[in-house]
Amino acid sequence: MSRDGEEMKEPPLIGGNHSFHSLTDLICGLVERRAPAWWWIALMVCSSAALTGGLMTAYVISTGIGVWGMNQTVGWAFDITNFVFWVGIGHAGTLISAILFLFRQKWRSALNRFAEAMTLFAVACAGLFVTIHLGRTWMFWYLAPAPNVNMIFPNFRSPLSWDFAAVATYATVSTLFWYYGLIPDFATLRDRATRWLPQHIYGLLALGWRGSGRHWHNYETGYLMLAGLATPLVVSVHTIVSFDFATSVIPGWHTTIFPPYFVAGAIFSGLAMVLTLILPLRVACGLKDVVTSRHLEILCKLILTTGLLMGYGYTIEAAGAWYSGNMFESYLAYNRATGPYAWCYWTMIACNVLAPQLFWFRWFRTTPFAMFLISLLVNVGMWFERFVIVVTSLHRDYLPSSWKMFYPTWVDIALLIGAFGLFSTAFLLFLRFVPMVAVSEVKAFLPQADPHAGGHGSSGDPAPLDRGPMEIVGDDLLEDEDEDTAVHGVLARYATPGELRAAAGQVRAAGYRKFDTFSPFPIHGMDHAMGLSRSRVRFFTFVGGLTGVTFAQTLQWFLSTSIYPLVTGGKPLNSAEAFVPISFETMVLYATFGTILGMLLLNRLPRLYHPLFRGRDFGRATDDGFFLAINADDPAFDPDRIVSLLDRSGALSLEAVRGE
Amino acid sequence: MALIFTQRADDWLRRGMAGAFASVVLGITGIYYYAPPEYTRVGYAPKQPVAYSHELHAGRLGLSCLYCHTGVEESSVAKIPPTQTCINCHQAIKADSPQLEAIRVSWAGGSPIRWERVHQTPDYVYFNHAVHVRRGVGCVSCHGKVNEMPVVVHEKPLSMGWCLECHRHPEEHLRPPDQATNFEWQPPQGQNQRDFGLTLKDQFGIRAPETCTGCHR
Repeated sequence: MSRDGEEMKEPPLIGGNHSFHSLTDLICGLVERRAPAWWWIALMVCSSAALTGGLMTAYVISTGIGVWGMNQTVGWAFDITNFVFWVGIGHAGTLISAILFLFRQKWRSALNRFAEAMTLFAVACAGLFVTIHLGRTWMFWYLAPAPNVNMIFPNFRSPLSWDFAAVATYATVSTLFWYYGLIPDFATLRDRATRWLPQHIYGLLALGWRGSGRHWHNYETGYLMLAGLATPLVVSVHTIVSFDFATSVIPGWHTTIFPPYFVAGAIFSGLAMVLTLILPLRVACGLKDVVTSRHLEILCKLILTTGLLMGYGYTIEAAGAWYSGNMFESYLAYNRATGPYAWCYWTMIACNVLAPQLFWFRWFRTTPFAMFLISLLVNVGMWFERFVIVVTSLHRDYLPSSWKMFYPTWVDIALLIGAFGLFSTAFLLFLRFVPMVAVSEVKAFLPQADPHAGGHGSSGDPAPLDRGPMEIVGDDLLEDEDEDTAVHGVLARYATPGELRAAAGQVRAAGYRKFDTFSPFPIHGMDHAMGLSRSRVRFFTFVGGLTGVTFAQTLQWFLSTSIYPLVTGGKPLNSAEAFVPISFETMVLYATFGTILGMLLLNRLPRLYHPLFRGRDFGRATDDGFFLAINADDPAFDPDRIVSLLDRSGALSLEAVRGE
Repeated sequence: MALIFTQRADDWLRRGMAGAFASVVLGITGIYYYAPPEYTRVGYAPKQPVAYSHELHAGRLGLSCLYCHTGVEESSVAKIPPTQTCINCHQAIKADSPQLEAIRVSWAGGSPIRWERVHQTPDYVYFNHAVHVRRGVGCVSCHGKVNEMPVVVHEKPLSMGWCLECHRHPEEHLRPPDQATNFEWQPPQGQNQRDFGLTLKDQFGIRAPETCTGCHR
């Protein structure tokens, strides 16, 4: 293999000739500029649908779920179909943000932000359906083990309780993970904003983030922890959703293939939704440089892979029914393919198994129109899959005398439309107020973000570029002692991440300890240059997780055996195995709280005011500026020495910052 | 660059966070204090159309509960007496008292007196008075010392958790069934309530249901 290196190289992650600043402009501009006409039109259409959904929800809650088309035989229909469909859609967001992060798939950074937003809104839709299907929605809080005067508690041996824990944890963790990733980007928006309101709203949301090297160090560890927690979480969620079915004795539900088959289906449908959304958006928002055709091709390949898994699942279902020799199982398989709902079954097969096969051909993976069409088909197919699982399994079970058909009422259909309206309205609002691409993450993948830029493999850091004499901002640098406010420190700006890293190393070698670096994205190797030890965020994660698992296990055991000792399904009061899912979910939840709390505490955030914000160009620290600050209270602080040291290290400018 | 937040902003943020935390804690505490029947139901003492005093009739005069609330030993409900029951005595005793005007009007006109209901279980609760009274759960256990109440007050919460307490440990409240209406009953000399209750529990084979269908049918 003496192939030329050029040919083996992966195509660049970011197209065009972007600088840090042009990338910030491109993505933040979407939020800052006036909304385009298409956005207003889309918002009008979608919010009308959402309003329909809202009215229908009010109608269902006030009247009762009898307005749905369900009956004694088909006790679950559109409600649970929609619930499972929407939870599944959400899974792709976490796959992209967490699982692909652990696998170091750099291309994910272009997609993770908006895929995670999609997760949140999809889970909200799922939550809507599962909440109103309770019937007496106002008794929702009974799902949680809150102490109450009735002294009744959830049955922890039921998958429905696990489901509540899983979906609630998933919604919370996804929201927090999303927000965690947003903190640096909110800081960027804060520093770019010119009007009072956005400055303060984004400022509050950014918690005073200033891109400090010490902060990035804890932040990155926290991000890794969160990704590590979200990965098993996302697998557990659809597994537990499948338990709602698989632990019952209904033919077609009672199968061991369900958990993996549900998880694969969830990711399959979610990726299709990502593709459906990003194809028009990258054109409308001018993001073709960030979400390149390479990204789309990878998504298509993932859809093809998960589509094949779905085909395997459908085959195993039929094969299992045949192999079991069970009359009811066999009839179910036969009824699905030939019964009154056969058209749903074959729609599902055509959309989920056959349509993705087109992605074997390069033309379909590179033609936006074809990709869009196939992704829509997969969305439709996955909805029908949920419908087939829920309704066809129920409508003809053991006793032919109780066989019945399900027909949706207008309320069912209006709610289905309403959920899509809610989802798309929330998504449109997200596009307007939050950067739809993780700015700080994609910047790190620009070629110039590599601190070794200018020749990989060359030893050491690149020599400072020829920059002319160092600019001294203000004339009063450190000299005039009669100023009222004390000097906080010295702030130097550098041109590239590589120079900043080298300077940090030199400042440290010169004996300074109270110094910090500031950059719009974490710089590779900066923790070594600054001499930082491993981040302690991981201890917070560990303690949080341990607290969660202990708390949940104790709570379930204590409530089930002492406070509410109710025998259900002939199971022992202390059913340790049944307590595992909720203990796991609570562990993830508390570990997430611990991680975020740890990052904030170790970084002393939120801290809205900092003297360095007075620095002339400091706002560029969240855009394209690379800064180094030495605190005045460092024992080695000596103005003359610092000026010459920083001048030698290649600083572009130097400024004394005053303030408490 | 121009400062967006001054030093004071952080003080306000800290105050705001403390305030938010305090509101959450206060809110939860408030719900747990004000929402349960211990607060909403206990102490309910509506004004009745006739100022009938249980303290006088059941207490000082020693009238049995069963004289008015007939059927409590046979039926699931303890009946509210008709005007006839009042007139039995009051046609002779204090027949002209102005306080009894409503009784006389009702008796003459045939329309019943609209007593205000004090104790009420929800429709989805199947509660049977006879079962409790005939197994030795005294009136006092659920209604309090009615013989000392000039105006009847809702004394116990009658919440589900409160019902369950007794259903799990009935021995704390059992007495000989013929003492059910005796407000002053005490366990026999030398025995405490628990041991005596356990004997009765055995004797009558009491298995108070703790499953959902015991009360919700």
